[in-house]
Amino acid sequence: MIETLLQTLLNGAASGGVYALVALGYTLVFSVLGVINFALGALFSLGGYLTYLLMGGAISANGGLPGWGLPFGLPFPLALLLAAALTGLASLGVERLAFTPLRRRNAEPLLVLITSLGAGLVLVNLLQMLMGAEGYAFPATALAGLPDAVVLGGARIRSVQVLLLAVCAAAVIALTLWLERSRSGRALKAVAEDATTARLLGINSDAMLRLAFLLSGALAGLGGGLIGVSISLPGPYVGIGYGLKGLAVLVLGGLGSVPGAIAGGLLMGLAEALVPGEASGWRDALAFAILFAVLLLRPTGLLGRRLVEKV
Amino acid sequence: MIDNGLLVQMLIGALLGVSVYLPLAAGQLSLATPAFYAVGGTLAALLSTTWPALGAGADGSFPLASFLLELLLGGLLAGALALLVGRLVLRLQGIYLAIATIALVEIVRVAILNLPFTGGAIGIFGIPQPFPTAAGYLLPALGLLALAGWVCQRLEVMPLGRAMAAIRNDELAARCMGIDTTRVKLTAFVLSAVLAGSTGALAAHFLNTWNARQGSFDTAVTMLAFVILGGSRSWLGPVLGGLLLTALPELLRPVGDVRLVLFGLVILLGPSVFPQGLITPGLLERLGRLGERAEREPQT
Repeated sequence: MIETLLQTLLNGAASGGVYALVALGYTLVFSVLGVINFALGALFSLGGYLTYLLMGGAISANGGLPGWGLPFGLPFPLALLLAAALTGLASLGVERLAFTPLRRRNAEPLLVLITSLGAGLVLVNLLQMLMGAEGYAFPATALAGLPDAVVLGGARIRSVQVLLLAVCAAAVIALTLWLERSRSGRALKAVAEDATTARLLGINSDAMLRLAFLLSGALAGLGGGLIGVSISLPGPYVGIGYGLKGLAVLVLGGLGSVPGAIAGGLLMGLAEALVPGEASGWRDALAFAILFAVLLLRPTGLLGRRLVEKV
Repeated sequence: MIDNGLLVQMLIGALLGVSVYLPLAAGQLSLATPAFYAVGGTLAALLSTTWPALGAGADGSFPLASFLLELLLGGLLAGALALLVGRLVLRLQGIYLAIATIALVEIVRVAILNLPFTGGAIGIFGIPQPFPTAAGYLLPALGLLALAGWVCQRLEVMPLGRAMAAIRNDELAARCMGIDTTRVKLTAFVLSAVLAGSTGALAAHFLNTWNARQGSFDTAVTMLAFVILGGSRSWLGPVLGGLLLTALPELLRPVGDVRLVLFGLVILLGPSVFPQGLITPGLLERLGRLGERAEREPQT
């Protein structure tokens, strides 16, 4: 009994870690720009596909390119990191196309919502065009050398779930340390607090903004690669669902709060894991039902700051 | 290239665009339209396939009166749901409201997918047809659009519409002027839901099948794009946006798989090119002046 519960909780924490990554991706951009980058879900998909490709996985693109793949295959950790970095670069491209033109002319924030969604639509459909709509499972050799499962306190956990949890924890800790301790991390926080004052203090706020996008995309890409290896890539739309869940987590934790995003992600993953198997069809609604309840009871999120309405 | 079927789809797009526009006219960014559209469509699909009193024929025919009744019921059910949900969510502002309404859309989608009587992932199919051809749907779709347009046009001069515009410009100031902002926002939200519900009922018959995919996050995005690219300052904007953007993917069909990428590019780059949408207040003013001149100058 206890073993099953432990197993459930660890699985929940693992998927919660991925939700936290996505929510942190939103948070980084939101804290600097005050808007939500709706292309993040598509970047998540991109990260998954890039990891798959870099490992030498073959694609067929709806039968257009049967068995085509890169001539080399990187080991999983390397492929994952490289894919995350490339996704970060793609995120910079999203910033350049969807955010910069509107920011330059001080357009309504509402428009950025549309353009970032448009960027996501382009990305997902490009993936669909180039890689096909079919799903891909990572090669079984992806995690060669790791045992199938580990036994923890009597509970059998798939080792890929442990890996997931470990990578998410490492990414979250690295990001927090960077934000708190490093010069550039603090500069980013300063820009998030007050861009004008930060500029007066000699911080290049545009560079910080690009850095936020780069990191945000990299986090989403990391999430995509991890989900790809632990479950599979069911199609280019894989990231949209995670993007939406990340949004729920973002609000749950409080917009713009880093610890909130982490706590919210874990909470959401655990809550979903506790949904009994018979009701698994309703699991996807749980995140949004929680989100709904949180918005109504505490619109600033669990750990969010109250926004003062300026008159 | 544009056949009657596509024309009906375009009109449905225009109707949904107006439904997203209505709360926005009161300054509320709500993405709930797909949820209400799904509710109206599911109701019509269920009623017409399971309730013999409506008179669905064995050959798949359906009486016109029952069809019109379903449009009404779809609108009413969606409106009632909006009244219930609106009281809760309209306390939220800006992006919080948008996210809450996305949550509503997802909850409705998962519910339709999992309820025992809505047909699961396959959905409800073989929905009876009140008209023998797609052309038959043109008239009710046009009628619904004319009604919606008339309401929007009337709103511009009615106290309710003026109050909506005031809230859009400055909610705090509107409240100080003594406007019951909660009630005005709720009314706009319910109007939007009624329109979406009726449109869903019409679409369910037109499409012949109905499933949970009809109201998803993707559709919410597309509908918002109708309003933003068409222009959000007049109801004509979402109508134009809905017509154009529904036709675009179909007209691009010859280019194959690239079409959805191109569609995404339009949404990505459109707002930078037309930040106010295609139909801007300036354009409307110029059209209005043209109209006045035509009235003043006697026809020769």
